[in-house]
Amino acid sequence: MEANDNTPPVDAEYEKALSQEWRHVLDASSDRHAAGIDSDPTEVAVVAEPVLAGVGAGAAGGSSADPDAPPARRQHIADPSDLALAIRGLRVSYGSAEILHGVDIDAPRGGVLALVGPSGCGKTTLLRSLNRLTELAPTAKIEGEVLLDGANIYAPKVDLNLLRRRVGMVFQQPNPFPMSIFDNVAFAIREQAQRRPSRGSLMPQVEQALQRAGLWDEVKDDLNRSALSMSGGQQQRLCIARTLAADPEVLLMDEPCSALDPRSTARIEELIVQLAGSLTVVIVTHNLAQARRIADYAAFLLNGDLIEQGLAEQVFENSKEQSTRDFVAGIFG
Amino acid sequence: MPVRLSDRIGYYGAWFSGLFLTAVVFSIVAWLLVNGLRNVDWTFLTTNPAPGSVEIGVAGGIVAPLIGTLIITAMGTAIALPLGLATAVFLGEHGKPLWLKQGTDTAIDLIFGVPSIVFALFGLAIFSNPSLVFLSSEVQTSGMATAKSYFCASLMMALIALPPIVRSTQASISQVPNVQREAAYALGKTRFATIRTIVFPSIRPGISTGTILGMGRIAGDTAIVWILLGGAVLEPPQPGWYQPQNFLEFLHGTGSTLTTYVYFASPAGEGNSEGKAYGAALVLFALVFIVNIVLGRLGQRKIGRQ
Repeated sequence: MEANDNTPPVDAEYEKALSQEWRHVLDASSDRHAAGIDSDPTEVAVVAEPVLAGVGAGAAGGSSADPDAPPARRQHIADPSDLALAIRGLRVSYGSAEILHGVDIDAPRGGVLALVGPSGCGKTTLLRSLNRLTELAPTAKIEGEVLLDGANIYAPKVDLNLLRRRVGMVFQQPNPFPMSIFDNVAFAIREQAQRRPSRGSLMPQVEQALQRAGLWDEVKDDLNRSALSMSGGQQQRLCIARTLAADPEVLLMDEPCSALDPRSTARIEELIVQLAGSLTVVIVTHNLAQARRIADYAAFLLNGDLIEQGLAEQVFENSKEQSTRDFVAGIFG
Repeated sequence: MPVRLSDRIGYYGAWFSGLFLTAVVFSIVAWLLVNGLRNVDWTFLTTNPAPGSVEIGVAGGIVAPLIGTLIITAMGTAIALPLGLATAVFLGEHGKPLWLKQGTDTAIDLIFGVPSIVFALFGLAIFSNPSLVFLSSEVQTSGMATAKSYFCASLMMALIALPPIVRSTQASISQVPNVQREAAYALGKTRFATIRTIVFPSIRPGISTGTILGMGRIAGDTAIVWILLGGAVLEPPQPGWYQPQNFLEFLHGTGSTLTTYVYFASPAGEGNSEGKAYGAALVLFALVFIVNIVLGRLGQRKIGRQ
């Protein structure tokens, strides 16, 4: 059906979609979802169908050409039971303070999982445990398992450097290296190759990463410019490009928009939606509206415990737990 | 303008201190220029020192001491720089085990504080051991080593150049934002690769500042030169010392530097030719000044166009 309709992404459509704060519904039963998984990442976003939000699986039909159709929704999750990441009994403490008290969270492949909760609930610690950055703190102690494609990343003899390329991370503050734009993006690839590759041979990968991060057109004329001379939003997209250059399977994002203005935030959100499907995104956000806009799944954490997880819509609209409802309603946060 | 009296005292005190310091330094430089320039000419720079003391003004030129200063500074820095950088990386990036970090910290402070003549004396005791004769040459009568050579002197010079290199580098390392290290780790970099690709480029200014200070300490030291290099102002190197077959032997022998020449030519030394002392001091000053500017330039980082 229309999932195979490969019309190129149109920016205007996206902005419209974003502005209407659309929400998509997961369509678990359909076989059309696989469409996004292996296709070119720039095309993934197009795999969208006009559907009335909240309407179940069968309603996904209709004419995709209709410009006045309700906001699009993505169909990039092949099988919600196919987990890119499975967190099992994760318990993290710093010294004597236990931050996470054993949480189990699922991140289905190709989806966007939002970790939400008030400050200090352990979301960032959780995120940083997914690529083992937590253990950089000398007092950190980690128990439990994180299964990446079924293999525990905390097993002995795991190659940390490989793991961190498979599970990339974008930080809260844009943190480009004090180098040129090109060198920032080429940074990860250079280390992967044994010998120092020439600039020419890196160019295709650098261009692809910048394309995926939606930055190429803005910077292609001057890749030697210092990354520090870019705007905050551009810097953050550069950091995303830098991470994408390593071709990760999972992208961790720690409040990637909290230091950005609304316009830049919209661009990053748009980007996350585009990237989902070709990789799995786990995003920590303070911003509930943002989580509603971009997340397929949500997990609500409170004081180091998982309160609730599931389809984003369900967590935000039909929560089973009182504390989640209070948080979503803004009673605390 | 501050109103309260204590503020006023502080304000004018600070202002006056700055002015005073600037005036003192510029007076010294001016004095050096006026007295030194008269004595610096081509002959002065290209002839060897000569015995003086009876007749004023025959302390000769400074070519041998000038060469001595250049060589000892280069050798001392060449030893101190890698050692200092490694120490700074240990202190700034690793710092474990704690007892070793604290021990290293104390050692660096000690070296900073102890006068170089103490180290020179210590070096004399060590390097005169017959088993270390390869660093200098043998004293025929006793079988001991002379402990006076470019090698012996540079080793001790490296020690006194270490603290500024370590501290300056360490201070720069601590200013590299942690988020950048984390970003590198998150991209799958090893710790070593992170230090090499992220930390080092950022701390180049700190390294060059430390190196300048370290070089200044070496070029300005007199005690180590007297004790471990011989301060042999009147024994110029053999002709052809710089040829490959002679150079190693030259480094095993004694020598002098500009500082020892300044002492020699001053009224306190046997050269007894004050003007030449000023001349040599001016050359030393100019040398350090040029090194400062060159290294300062090299240390500036280039990160694409801003």
